[in-house]
Order: sequence, then structure tokens, then C-alpha cells
Amino acid sequence: MNGLHGIIFSYEKRNNLRELTDIRSASSIPFGGRYRAVDFALSNLVNAGCTDVGVVLHGRYQSLLDHLGTGKSWDLSRKRGGLKILPPFAYRQDWGETAFRGKMEALGGVRSYLDEIRQDYVCLMEGDLVVNLPLGEILERHIQSGADITAVCGNDSFRVEDGTYLQLSPEGRVTEVLYHLNNPRGYRSLEVYLISRSLLLSLVDECASHDQYSWRRDVLQTRCGQLNIQGYIWNGFAAQIRSVQEYYDRSMQLLDPAIREDLFCAERPIRAKSADKSSAYIGPEGCCVNSMVADGCSIGGTVENSILSAGVTVEEGAEVRNCILFKDTVVRRDARLSHVIADKCVEILPGHALMGQPSYPIVIAKGSQV
Amino acid sequence: MKKECIAMLLAGGQGSRLYVLTGDMAKPAVPFGGKYRIIDFPLSNCSNSGIDTVGVLTQYRPLELNSYIGSGQPWDLDDSTGGVHILPPYMGSDGGTWYKGTANAIYQNIGFVDLYDPEYVVILSGDHIYKMDYSKMLQRHKEAGAVCTISVMEVPWSEASRFGIMNVDGADTVTEFQEKPRQPKSNLASMGIYVFSWRMLRRYLTEDEADPGSENDFGKNIIPRMLADGQKLAAYRFQGYWKDVGTLESLWDANMDMLSPESGLDLLDDSWPIYARTFSAPTAYLGRSAKVTHSAFNRGSDLEGTVENSVLSADVHVAEGARVSYSVLMPGTRVEAGAVVEYAILGENCCIGAGCHVGAAPENTDPDKWGLTVLAPCCKLEEGRTIPAKTMLTRQGEEVPR
Repeated sequence: MNGLHGIIFSYEKRNNLRELTDIRSASSIPFGGRYRAVDFALSNLVNAGCTDVGVVLHGRYQSLLDHLGTGKSWDLSRKRGGLKILPPFAYRQDWGETAFRGKMEALGGVRSYLDEIRQDYVCLMEGDLVVNLPLGEILERHIQSGADITAVCGNDSFRVEDGTYLQLSPEGRVTEVLYHLNNPRGYRSLEVYLISRSLLLSLVDECASHDQYSWRRDVLQTRCGQLNIQGYIWNGFAAQIRSVQEYYDRSMQLLDPAIREDLFCAERPIRAKSADKSSAYIGPEGCCVNSMVADGCSIGGTVENSILSAGVTVEEGAEVRNCILFKDTVVRRDARLSHVIADKCVEILPGHALMGQPSYPIVIAKGSQV
Repeated sequence: MKKECIAMLLAGGQGSRLYVLTGDMAKPAVPFGGKYRIIDFPLSNCSNSGIDTVGVLTQYRPLELNSYIGSGQPWDLDDSTGGVHILPPYMGSDGGTWYKGTANAIYQNIGFVDLYDPEYVVILSGDHIYKMDYSKMLQRHKEAGAVCTISVMEVPWSEASRFGIMNVDGADTVTEFQEKPRQPKSNLASMGIYVFSWRMLRRYLTEDEADPGSENDFGKNIIPRMLADGQKLAAYRFQGYWKDVGTLESLWDANMDMLSPESGLDLLDDSWPIYARTFSAPTAYLGRSAKVTHSAFNRGSDLEGTVENSVLSADVHVAEGARVSYSVLMPGTRVEAGAVVEYAILGENCCIGAGCHVGAAPENTDPDKWGLTVLAPCCKLEEGRTIPAKTMLTRQGEEVPR
């Protein structure tokens, strides 16, 4: 079956997301008001005609499980194929905090699942990537180029937590794979890889027999010369959510219409689970400018340069500037917030003020009362 | 599969008093309140009341409604036993007819109801905005030991002559039914919501069908017949928000009510959610020059202009310098720069060109000439046009009388 199969890794190894990942993996972090990070990977795959997607779980995955459900929101609740959840209990060894040491080991742990893949090609992605890739076109390019692996990379060497950087030849072949760089150079890997199922299977087996577990080190870096790895350079928006700062900066970029146009382009809609909330409402004294506001919000005060998830309440006299407020957070009368990321169901009591800085936004944990 | 209670939802009417808004779709499919369609209210009420089997009787222009309802999944009405079923008129070996009236529509689907062999059937309309727990009404029906229970609400005495009025005794048993009485004896108006004991209703429907003089209507025939036969009919008093949105004015009113929780229509209340089929669109964005006050808006929207006292559906664009006041904008509407829309209902995908002026405020208009301005879905206005108050335009932009 000539087509694309998706495997999304939901990782848990970043610790720079502070309180935001206390209760969830980066994949289920809210982004852009009505989305979770993993919605982007899932929608990218579905928009390329992908009907079968496996999600490799890891760490605090309850929130992600809850979000994914049966996969219905992405049309992945199917009789044949569809969404398959691959939880970590299948792994042979327990490596403490990290149930597996790397992607190859994780894939080895679900070997029987890999055997069942019906499609000829597999796309490996990570759940913390926010992007809108034309994966259908990228797959065509991959097939035509005759590459063993196509690595999608951003057109920058932007510094990301634990990033991988690819050095490309003028013809676009990956010549070197680097990480742990003090001064990133080359192209930032988006950790999106296209590979044929048969090659993936043989690599998984080879790695298992040599106790190799890392995709990045043991496949990309070690086999860089013997495998034909091609780079695909993506010039659009691509955020890897691995630190609070990156999360904040990348979220705020959404207030730029050109970025929204790119990330939410009409031909490849990003699908999300829908919350059963009513319309958003701004009161007679309310004022809301340069902001994204999701369903069910109720704004009585002032909101500027902010991103509000579903069901956020900003009472009369309250001021919210340069903030990201998650679902059902309440900002009471005359409270003032600036450069704050408030997790779900936070309550800011009347008259209180919290001022973060653009270079250090304040993060308030889920359910806190301030 | 036996069910205690199923619902039959009458959704076949043309909704002719919504004029151009129902030119291509049945009334229950008309968008409401920014994110809903009218039929979301009875369907969500069923789902929240524990009724998992609903027959939707369609007849007039059902395509939009059918695709909206789909599998019923948005309302959790896609159970393996039951769920929502679209019931159009059909042919049998000795012919078939259109639904002749509300009672005839149910009569023609006796076979459907019998599949579930219910004790009770709830009859609902597809043109009311309200939140109601049908299980409480069913409880009242059982306790009263009635053949039929009719949901009623108190209306102002001055308006009572516009409704079907129920006169009741001390135990709220219906003693008399008067359709739009000149001298009302009570102010309890029927809401057009009934619970019947199916065995009795089945008998009355069959008898009614055999009567060539009957209009085959619940209010005109079935209820009076039952009363005349001395059957026990109970009234169930409903308190809360309820509005028949069968006219342009009442549709506009109900939308405005949504903006003020004092009206009783609180859609932000989580305890009785109204579900809707949602579509994919990014979070709404309010621009740097946006001035949005006392208004509702939805996903996919991009608001740069002024919006006041209005209800905006999904995917609405209001450009910089444009103003929308006291209006209802249905999905996909675009209002270009400098245009003004006031006291208007704009159907789906309308485009208002730059500098247009649609509708007028009552304070600036001769009272005789004032009224809502209504544009049919997909109506496109080129730049600079003025559409006065009380005007109605078709899809092609032609003016039609009300």
C-alpha cells in the first residue's frame, strides 16, 4: 500500500518547561488558544492522506491520552487502522524516569506493531512540534529523490533545547548530524523523518542486535555516510516547544497575521478536539486588542497582546497584557497580569498584580489561586 | 430494542416567516447564537435528558439539515441501539404522500416508533430556543397518570391572545384548550412540546387519519379530540427561557438575549451544555484597532473594526474602519473597510463591500419605515451600496417584499 504511516513520539525528557509539564507531556501543552501541540503533528499527517497513526507514549501521558481519545477529532477513529496508542508497558526494561532510552529502543519495543504497518512509508515526528508541513509533497519528493531517509529541517539554526542540527551539501544531502552544540550551525532538524517501512524495520532490528537505541546517534550520525539522507528545507513557521521561553516567544508570534496565515493555511486545516463552549463574549466595558480569544471566554476588562484558551474569564477592571492564559482561568476584578503564563483553572484574586518580564515570563501551575 | 421513551422532532416546516433565510434550508438548520443551529437546542435537550433515540421528521429542503445532523455524534446521539434518525416521507406499495400535518407526520412513522416499542413519546418542535429537562416533564406525566402532558408557560396577559392557551384546574389538569382566544381565561401558553403515552397516541393518530375532515394537526385535532373524549391531559409548568424563533424579529431578539444572561438564556452555563457540530478554524483574532463590546464572536473570525451589541458566527471578518451594531452575522460573513451594518441579519457567506451601509438605527428612521434589514445567504453587495431599513435581499441581491 503506497501511502504514509505516522508515528508520533511524545517525549518527556525536557525539563525546561517548568510547571507546564508537571502534569502533562509537552505534546499536550495548549498552544494558540484552541489547540494542543500534538494537534499539529496529527493534522499534518491526516492532511497528507494518512489514515494510520501510532503515538508512542512516555512519561506523564494521562493528559495526552485524555486529549487523543479515540482519535475522532482527526478522523482517526477508524474500523481499519486509525489511531493506535503505544504505551510504555511494552518495553522490556525500565530505565528509571525514562522508560526507554531512545527512539530506536521505543520502536523495538513495539516491533509487532511495526510489522502490521500497511503503508510503504513511515513518517516519524515528535509531539512537541508546531508546524503545518505539506507532508504529501514531502513524501513525493522523498520517493522521487531515491533517498533512504528524508529529514525535514527548518531554514535556520535557531537554538532549541536539545536540538539536532544538520549540515547539508549543496545538493541537499545530509553530510553531518550534530547535537549538544554550544553554537548551533547548519539547519535545525524538525525531527520529522520519512523512511520506507522496510528500511525502518531493518534498522530497528540492527540497532536492537547491537544494543543501539538512539535514532539520532546510532542511525543518523553513525550511518550518515552509508545511508542517503536528504534534507528538506521548510521555510515556514516551525516551533519546537522545549522551554518556557521558546513556548512564550513562539506563542506570541501567532499575533502576527503572516505567521497565522502560514500555520493555519486553509488548504491544510489544523484540527483540534472541540470544547462544548458557547461563543466568546466581550462585555460593554471590555476591551480586547491584538489577541487570540477561544470559545467561551468572557471578557469584562482589558486584554492586550494575549492568547486566551477556551473558557477564560477576565472580570471588569482587570488588565491582562502579554499573557497566555489556559482553559478556564479566571482573572478577578482589578487584578493585573503582564507576561504571565497561567495554566488551567488558575484564579487570580481581585486586585492582585503579577508582572513577569518578556525574558522571564511567570508560570503559574494548574489550579493555583494567587 | 425496547425503550421507555423516545423523541420525535418535527423539523419539516418551511419556516416561511423567516423569508430569505429559509430559501434554501429548513428552519431548524438556521444558524443561531454564533455557534449553533436552532436544532441544536432540542437535540441537546434530548441528550441531556437521557433520551437516546430521536426521530427527526424532515420534508422541506432537508439537505443542509441532514448533513448537519450526520451521524448524531456531536450530541452523543449515535448509540448502537437508537441514536438520531432522519425520517423523510416515503413511498409504500400503495403509494405515499407528503406529511399533511404534524399528526400525520407521526402517523406515517408509526412503524419507526414501534421498532422501539416505547411507553412514552415526546413530540418536539425544531424552532424553539430553550433548555429543558424532558425527564422532569416525563416524571410529571407519569405521576399525573395522564394520556398527554403539555408543556406550558406563563405569558403576560396582554400577549395571551397570541398563543394556544390551556385552561387548567387546581391540579393543573387541562380543562380546556383555546387557540389564540380573544378573551383568554388563563395565561398558560402551550409551548408545542408534548409527552404522550404511545399506546393511546397511536390509537388517536389512527382515528385522526381516518377522518377526512381533519387537518391532521396536534394542536387543532389530536389535543381537542382527547379533551372531548374526557382523557386526562396534564399541564407541565416550565420556568426559564423559551422563545419561538419563527419570525425574523424573534430570531433577532433571541440572538440579542444571548448577550445578556439576565434574559435567562445563559449559554455559558456548563450544567446543561448545548452541543453543536463544530468545524475546524483557528482561534478568533481581534486586531489592534478592534473595538468589540457587548458582543459574541467565534473561531475563524478576524475582527479589526468596531462591533457592538452583535452576535457574530464563526469565520466572520470585519475590516478596519467597518462598524457592526445590533446585528446578527451568520458564518462566513465579510464586512469590508468602512462599511456599516446596523439592525440587520446577514445570512451565511454574505459579503458587504467597502463603504456599504446596510440597515438603519430606529432612532434615525421614520418609525413606519423602520425594521430589520435581512440579507439572504451568499448575497454580495458591491462597494458603496446603501440598503435601507426593513429591506430584504435575495441571494442575487434583488429586493423582495415581506
